[in-house]
Amino acid sequence: MKSIPIHSVLALLLLGACGDEGSTPAPSDQPGSSPAAEEETAPLPDRIEIPDPTDRITQLELVEDESEAVADRLLAFSDKVRRRDFASAREWLSDDFAGESMSGLPVAEERERPLDVEEISYDVSAPPIQGPDEFLAGVASLIAPWSRVDSAIWKVKGAEFQRGRPHWGKIKLFIHLTGRGPRGGGEAVKAWGYARVKQVSGTWMVDRFELTSLSTSRRESPIFVSVAPAAGVGYVSTRFGKPGNTSFAFNGTACADIDGDGDWDLFVPSDGRNFLYVNSPEGFSEEARERGVDQPDGGTGTVFFDFDNDHDLDLVVGHVDDGQTAGTRIELYTNDGQGHFTRVPGGLGLGSKEVVAYSLTVFDYDGDGWLDLFACGYGITAKEHNNSWVQATNGSPNALFHNEGGKRFVDVASELGLAGNSWSYASAAADYDADGDVDLYVANDYGTNNLWRNDGGTFTDVAEDLGVLDPGNGMGCNFADLNGDGRLDLYVSNMSSTAGNRILDRYADELDPQVYAILKKSAAGNTIFLQDPDGGFTRLPKKNGGVGGSWAWSTAMADFDLDGRIDVFCTNGFVTGDQPFDT
Amino acid sequence: MVASTQGECGTDEGLKDFTTQEVGNQGYVQRHNTQMFAEGRSFSGNERDKLWLNLGDGQWFDVSDLSGCDSPNDGRALVTCDFDGDGDLDLFVHELQRERHALYRNELGTLYGNPIRLRLRATKGQWEAIGATVTVTTEDGTRSLPLSRGAGFESSQPGELIFGLGPDAEEAQVQVRWPGGAVDEYTVGAGQSVTLVEGGESEPFEVVRCPLPDPLPPGLRKHTGDTVPPLAVMNGSDEEVELDPVALADGKPLYLNLWASYCGPCVAEMPLLQKKHVEGEVRVAVLSMDAPADQPKAAAILKKVGATFPAFYLGAKASAGGTAHPIEELLDLERLPIPTTLVLDAEGNITDIIRGPLQED
Repeated sequence: MKSIPIHSVLALLLLGACGDEGSTPAPSDQPGSSPAAEEETAPLPDRIEIPDPTDRITQLELVEDESEAVADRLLAFSDKVRRRDFASAREWLSDDFAGESMSGLPVAEERERPLDVEEISYDVSAPPIQGPDEFLAGVASLIAPWSRVDSAIWKVKGAEFQRGRPHWGKIKLFIHLTGRGPRGGGEAVKAWGYARVKQVSGTWMVDRFELTSLSTSRRESPIFVSVAPAAGVGYVSTRFGKPGNTSFAFNGTACADIDGDGDWDLFVPSDGRNFLYVNSPEGFSEEARERGVDQPDGGTGTVFFDFDNDHDLDLVVGHVDDGQTAGTRIELYTNDGQGHFTRVPGGLGLGSKEVVAYSLTVFDYDGDGWLDLFACGYGITAKEHNNSWVQATNGSPNALFHNEGGKRFVDVASELGLAGNSWSYASAAADYDADGDVDLYVANDYGTNNLWRNDGGTFTDVAEDLGVLDPGNGMGCNFADLNGDGRLDLYVSNMSSTAGNRILDRYADELDPQVYAILKKSAAGNTIFLQDPDGGFTRLPKKNGGVGGSWAWSTAMADFDLDGRIDVFCTNGFVTGDQPFDT
Repeated sequence: MVASTQGECGTDEGLKDFTTQEVGNQGYVQRHNTQMFAEGRSFSGNERDKLWLNLGDGQWFDVSDLSGCDSPNDGRALVTCDFDGDGDLDLFVHELQRERHALYRNELGTLYGNPIRLRLRATKGQWEAIGATVTVTTEDGTRSLPLSRGAGFESSQPGELIFGLGPDAEEAQVQVRWPGGAVDEYTVGAGQSVTLVEGGESEPFEVVRCPLPDPLPPGLRKHTGDTVPPLAVMNGSDEEVELDPVALADGKPLYLNLWASYCGPCVAEMPLLQKKHVEGEVRVAVLSMDAPADQPKAAAILKKVGATFPAFYLGAKASAGGTAHPIEELLDLERLPIPTTLVLDAEGNITDIIRGPLQED
């Protein structure tokens, strides 16, 4: 077994880069650029076949530095394509570029997919070879009918670099373009291929492109349309990272009929102030201040529920204080029945406990008729970071607040064994085993998850026994019957990392299988566990599309097209800055 | 581990060590990230929200690209709910990026199936019946959902479950497993909205319609009724000029067409614009969205179709103290779909916005 720099693998996997931002040292075993003089008039080759490097760079930091540099270059190129600025995009292709055309190819298969989506795959067995201008004109023609390009990504999915001079690399590329058609429906292009990159005057440029697949999909009209600004709920603040929007206390949302008028209102905790969008046939009206919930700001998970059984929906809001201190609190507001709220100092005991709570879940764990509150305990990153990437044990404890007749809340997590020391991020409650009491799943960052089976008010963690530990970075979870057998299945949001998978693929044969499996799972994305007839769970294989996602967060399990099957929507992405570069 | 990001990569550790080791300088990641994000860098950015359709048998169809709700704005919490009462499920997403609230109206309606809308009322425990499992069965199959309150990530769901029955089922058998374990059965007709009461009773309820408005025209910062001021633009001779709607209209309606050389439908409608210009009932002017390097292409297209209407281009800077306004006052160039045609009255007020290709009539 070859010894490999495991620290490096994990750092690159989870943080995306190694080394100071912006300073990429020249690889010690690599010379710099190759001469560019001969590039001017090279004739187009008859075929494009990019060979693998014969003597590839193997040192992880060096090859990843190069990969990231190429990835950044391609993201900048992507940005030009998104703007349809092909004159500028031309600068990323060398003068002797030769590539297989992405346009005008014969149709291999046309398929009608659900929701009347038209999908076409193209025959890429013998595409014409084109020079740089003609190639870009072909890309332009692919998206010419579109009224808008929403996204253009040329993503590095794999990269190997030749040691020595001339300095070049073979890049595995995923090309993904999305936009809107003339009538507002979605348009998309997906392609896979290989690019050869070489350094010209110290800058990475593409000089060969080999196309391995190309497909398009479109739908005539949109499935969803964005109506937030028109509906009066389109609040937009400053870019994340700038003053006024720097908090890692990601703010949640809760939906309920707060005023009993039969329609659905929204509470949105936020930085600086909270929002309460009150719905009516005349539209939404923002009334947080008038209704008493505009402060304190910065809340995280939030839930409406009737804690005092007076038949209106009260409100709880978690806080993590941006992870800066342990002085976190859960706020409680009582509803007067008309949708006006009064904050309860101390929260009848909810405020007495320091919980670093991103997510909250309400259920009646002991069946006494009074709804209880589970609060996930994360960690306090400013004080102490996770002590392991795969099984952190220094998270702050969870809380399970027992509702004592609507008079006070008492944390019973420790006595029931639910407090733990994981970095708990999200939770969901349901009677998965159909025995009449409501069970609890907890998704943990940096570790395995918990399935707390409820047996009449006592809990046993059966996650390992039932096969739902789901190691990795749990970010969200839901129960729903996803295969139509009447049993509740389990969905878990996780992180997926292109860089992580790219790095790990280099070490598939060299890592300890146990380590490799853990790391690979950490970069694998969302999970579906289908409940078996015997009560266990089986992880759904990720074939036929799967629900892999990216860096996923919350989810909805809902039948969006009303066809009788439960669909999955999930939010994605950590931080998107102004610059096209990414880790 | 975090220390490795400071250039100390490369020590060999076994599984046992790395799962339990001290992770590194406390707070380093947070400081590192804070600085990185202040500079506008991304970290797993541009990852768009995802929608998978369940095809049954463990098959999923990723329809995100075409969904219209695939925002790249770093979504966090979300709820799905029929906010407008039309029977399909809309989406509200709380996005981290720019601290943005996003609301997506579902456009599918009952095109692919009919809904039933269920609310629960328990009589033996907490009345909200949180944690109940609802199972709906039709000839096409079975589906189950729990009534959750706080699931996903930082998200709390409404007290209503909407199930699709597909296009053909006229009714569904509904089973509720209440908290506590009691089970009741109900029959609910397609399209019905009922409150299911523990014990087997059910009561229809009236759905409150709260129509969600149509989207504002994406990419436009002016809307119907607004006035378009004189704009700083380039003419075809590389000179900065004013695009003055009132002067161009000259007492008649003005079609201000926004287009680009790379846009097929835009190019295709140029002869129609020229025809309207020649007929003279309306004035026509076009403003190209091409990058400066591509503007000669746009000019060549206009020449080829024999355009005689005024043509303008991007690239001018509104000078301080001048009368011309920057183009950004009218357009968000990043988000504008084209072709888009603004119909202005003789005073420069927007009377209509035509999105997509013009029709002959």
